[in-house]
Amino acid sequence: MTEKAATIVVCVDADLAEIVPAYLANRRQDGVRLAELLARQEFNAMRVLGHRMKGSGMGYGFKVISELGARLEKAAQAGSRSESAACIADLDDYLTRLEVSYTQETNLTNG
Amino acid sequence: MDHILIVDDDPEICSLVSRFFEKNGFRVSAVSDGNGLWTAMKGEPVDLVVLDLMLPDEDGLVLCRNLRANSNIPVIILSARGEDLDRIIGLEMGADDYLAKPFHPRELLARVRSVLRRTRNMPLPSQVAGGEEDVVYHFSGWTLDVPTRQLYSPQKEKIFLSGSEFTLLRIFLESPNQVLSREQLLEQIGSRESDTYERTVDMQVSRLRRRLREDPKTPALIKTVRSLGYVLSARVAKGGDHG
Repeated sequence: MTEKAATIVVCVDADLAEIVPAYLANRRQDGVRLAELLARQEFNAMRVLGHRMKGSGMGYGFKVISELGARLEKAAQAGSRSESAACIADLDDYLTRLEVSYTQETNLTNG
Repeated sequence: MDHILIVDDDPEICSLVSRFFEKNGFRVSAVSDGNGLWTAMKGEPVDLVVLDLMLPDEDGLVLCRNLRANSNIPVIILSARGEDLDRIIGLEMGADDYLAKPFHPRELLARVRSVLRRTRNMPLPSQVAGGEEDVVYHFSGWTLDVPTRQLYSPQKEKIFLSGSEFTLLRIFLESPNQVLSREQLLEQIGSRESDTYERTVDMQVSRLRRRLREDPKTPALIKTVRSLGYVLSARVAKGGDHG
């Protein structure tokens, strides 16, 4: 019997409540797109997606997305299939377990 | 309501900044490239530009330099290029501040407010004491017209100054022939946010010297006083107009 992975609760600024769902939906689409790009070994397009995730993730309240984006950008730049695949898997895992809680309190170190 | 123009080719960054700033009382326009920047600048007045560096049609640093050459609008660079050298070059190109991606929108908001305060509303000691908002300074053939924030060369050419350059020059003109430490300058500029700003003073002095056409090796007007700071070496007169 497999255990369900633990939920990751991230507190996000309530000012962003209207745009966060679309942002996360786009990251899920990125995950699908990245898998296709990896299969075709289109590392430059993967690097661009990683770069954008790195730039935007923390701003929306998801530090882990920025960190994964940075890892993916480096992996794609190096042409590493294994590390790129690991990043895509980690992104999928994070998005699956993520639960967003909107708050007026600002947490500058959340995940 | 202050109008912020964001120039970034990532629509999700534009959406984030727009939403966050609008929630905090700003009006925001977003464009994705240099062409959009120049088009927007011809439209409604812009109070501050948030500028990405890696744009599809033109290098953001070139845009920053061209923007600075043609206007006094404050510029904050928001870029994934976050190394010290990138920051230094950005500030040298005329940006008023620099924030590396990834960033927190509250930090960007704080920096925008700080730059707007510094470049527009920061009260100088003389303003607090005497409220001299209509003063015109004359020094070594140069003229600084405070009401219009315009600098004129001895040949009567208009010289564009950024908001921070204007503030710095005015601080020097209020205390000619007195050594001002970096700390004093920082205090009067209104920034005490991080160590980065210690170097920012040096960079702003360097930029101001270029505006004043100083020889960087032997500046005659703003002199470096080793270990102490800077001094404006000039007789300064206050007058009514710049004629």
